[in-house]
Amino acid sequence: MAEQQETRERWGMVVDLDLCTGCNACVTACAMENNIPWVGEEEAGYGRNMFWIRVQRTWEGEYPEVSPAYQPVMCQQCGRAPCEPVCPVFATVHSEEEQINLQVYNRCIGTRYCANNCPYTARSFNWYDYTYQIPAPMNYYLNPNVTVRRRGVMEKCTFCVQRIRAGQEQAKAAGRTLQDGEVIPACAQACPADAIIFGDLSDPESRVSKAARSQRGTTLLEELGTQPKVTYLKGGGYYGG
Amino acid sequence: MSRRIIHLALFPEDALDQAAEALETLRGMGITDRDMTVISGTPFSEKMLGRPMAWTRISIIGIAGALMGFLTALFFNFGTPLLYPIRVGGMAYQTLPTSFVVFFELTMLGLLISTFLGVFVEMISPSFGPQGYDPRITDGHIGVLFWAPPELDPRLHEALTGLGAEIIHGAEAKKLWLF
Amino acid sequence: MAVETQPVSPALNQPAREEEEALREQLMFDPRPREELNRMVMESMYSTSPRYWVAVGVLTALVLVCLVGMWGYMIFTGIGIAGIRKPIYWGVFIVTFVFWIGISHAGTFVSAILRVFKAEFRRPFTRAAELMTTFGLAAGALYPLIHLGRVWVFYWMIPYPNARWLWPNFRSPLVWDFLAITTYLLSSTIYLYLPLLPDLAMARDRTQGWRHAVYKALALGWRGTEAEWFRLRKAINIFAFAIIPVMFSVHTIVSWDFAVGQVGGWNSTIFGPYFIIGAILSGVSAVITILVILRATLKHMDYFIRPEHLDALGKLVLVFSMAWAYFFFNDYLVSWYGGYEVTRRILTLHATGPTAWVWYCMLFFNVVIPWLTLWSRKIRRTPWAMFIITVLINVGMYFERYTIIPMTLGHQRFPFDWGEYSPRLPEISIAFGTLCLFILLYLLASRLIPLVPVWEVREGQEAHKVVKVGKTVVPSVSELE
Repeated sequence: MAEQQETRERWGMVVDLDLCTGCNACVTACAMENNIPWVGEEEAGYGRNMFWIRVQRTWEGEYPEVSPAYQPVMCQQCGRAPCEPVCPVFATVHSEEEQINLQVYNRCIGTRYCANNCPYTARSFNWYDYTYQIPAPMNYYLNPNVTVRRRGVMEKCTFCVQRIRAGQEQAKAAGRTLQDGEVIPACAQACPADAIIFGDLSDPESRVSKAARSQRGTTLLEELGTQPKVTYLKGGGYYGG
Repeated sequence: MSRRIIHLALFPEDALDQAAEALETLRGMGITDRDMTVISGTPFSEKMLGRPMAWTRISIIGIAGALMGFLTALFFNFGTPLLYPIRVGGMAYQTLPTSFVVFFELTMLGLLISTFLGVFVEMISPSFGPQGYDPRITDGHIGVLFWAPPELDPRLHEALTGLGAEIIHGAEAKKLWLF
Repeated sequence: MAVETQPVSPALNQPAREEEEALREQLMFDPRPREELNRMVMESMYSTSPRYWVAVGVLTALVLVCLVGMWGYMIFTGIGIAGIRKPIYWGVFIVTFVFWIGISHAGTFVSAILRVFKAEFRRPFTRAAELMTTFGLAAGALYPLIHLGRVWVFYWMIPYPNARWLWPNFRSPLVWDFLAITTYLLSSTIYLYLPLLPDLAMARDRTQGWRHAVYKALALGWRGTEAEWFRLRKAINIFAFAIIPVMFSVHTIVSWDFAVGQVGGWNSTIFGPYFIIGAILSGVSAVITILVILRATLKHMDYFIRPEHLDALGKLVLVFSMAWAYFFFNDYLVSWYGGYEVTRRILTLHATGPTAWVWYCMLFFNVVIPWLTLWSRKIRRTPWAMFIITVLINVGMYFERYTIIPMTLGHQRFPFDWGEYSPRLPEISIAFGTLCLFILLYLLASRLIPLVPVWEVREGQEAHKVVKVGKTVVPSVSELE
């Protein structure tokens, strides 16, 4: 077992924008998996929506020849995350184990500094106790593997860390190493176009590693030096390569 | 010692020269500087009165406090990250540039708090000079407090009254603070 | 006084006599006996008109409703009742926080920097300015708590060995803020208290009853011995020199809350000095505002606070307004020239966006108004004009912080998330509540502690003499320290 621990995984994601249809299935699946509350029409309209992943829809071209462009954006799990060092209470930290960016809800005191400092606007804040507003039978939908956040704390995409842990434990119980494609976050699982690829970037043979090396690949706001773990593929209309 | 009586010679506000003169007269009568104190409502330096310099330890207390603050900051900056190492933002556990901020603030906090504590402790600790007070001091009067043996009384009174002072015979120490 | 002076002889010619008469306009050349100064200050503490009690009552009610009540309601329901929203996570709370911290720079500036440089005009109002520092900080220090999502666990920011085994993150500017504000609050309170000791003794000797008991305890048995004066002078000196860098550090750290981030429009190396200059501009302006009010409402204050003081402070305001404009322009020009997409867009938004009026008001109040008016000696010496100008400058400085915080956060790198922010009632109510708290604390303090450092004024009056030079007289100050 010990030697398995030494090969440390580096989880990463590739989003193929040329495949994305903007169907928002990832957003829905993410909300169901991670107990993300719905805040109501009015609050969402005011900018209080709590998506951990959102599909940015922009228009390309000049009217009338316009076409929509979709871009799912979630926490980029930066290697040098701007959100982390500004937190006074270590509520958002870099996980040495999974090489992702964690949010510790119980430690958060709600300064919201991390959210201001996130260039990807990937963080959501619990303005009220939304979970208490869920009508009675509906609370059975809550995923027992994910903490329900109370008000006043920040939250964000975790790369479905509960699924990563579950996958690792299953592999450990079976006495084998984790296979590529064994751990799939909710968004990737729900994507009908298979535009989201998830896996271990430390394994050069994994599907995600190969995709991330594609010539079409870019990372968001690369110039900020945040070292994101999410790569976007976009061919500019030309496919292949 | 017990036989000596505390006198308070009160001079009006503008009679600093006379007060300095009075101190000289008292010295001439054999009263040492240790047995005299000048109390006043506005600060006069020792040089104006021709008195030996007073001393205080608050600078040393202040520096000691600053050192304590610096050591606390040392622990905060470089000790606490070792007690519970948490990686943030790709930074090292112990970072030098950020530590200067904490060093500065805590050193200053230590310096200023302990300077105040120095003043506080020196204020409430007993002083060995002649005790005695009159409320007119805060009205600007200059008071010369001294211990003198009873046999000097007539000479004293004459000399000081001649300089324009009002003599309070036996200006005993009153309870000016809580204890 | 043992200072060698030329007594003004009756044989003085007519122009010299007029000169001397003119000097009487200045507090330092219009001396009164210490006894009378004491009486005036004591009377000002005892004079409470019915209007005063109405003001205290109304302010207390306003603090209870607008600040305590609204904050309590917000803790109960959640910070969502404030207007802050997704891209703009900091709004009026942080704006008001920076504003109050800025106001608190006045006391230290006036009483430490002017003391170090021996600016004699400071003497009658050092305490009024130091009180502003303490109460400004008291109001401002509430905001790091008010704006928290979970205020009931605020103590997790305090470094102490705890059951969670977790220390705060000393790399976070918010922890620096906590340390700096604690340092500044404690040291400025002590700096208020130390020069107060002789005046507390003065009050102790002239009061009975509960006041006497309080002053007696606070005066620490002050008698005015040489050793006590020497000690006090030494401590005040240490404080005056040490509190200046602390003051600079406090507002620099407040500016680092923004500048260390990678938010476009915040990440600027000039923010430290820019914020300090802004803070001193708003602080000194607020000192003038308060002095005008004190002069008009508090008994005998027209003796201590004179047009000459407003004049001297008005010059400072003009200088700091120019310095502020210099830093603002520096920041603006370099951002504009850099042409970096996000900053360029934010600058355009400030000047042409839906809330551009805030930006224009900021420039108008902070630059145009002081530059057009404060050149005039006549205006600088007119209390009501100075009152209006300095209040407007503080409005302008509030708008400056509003521009920097919510108006910048709303339009960051991803256009998809752009948003507008407008403050909601709870935010406005709490901000107004802390203003009421500040005024209330000041009102109460004005009747509880001697608002004029009598011994410092008297010391100054003794140091100032009129010296005859040829056929005229000139003012002369002797260094007594």
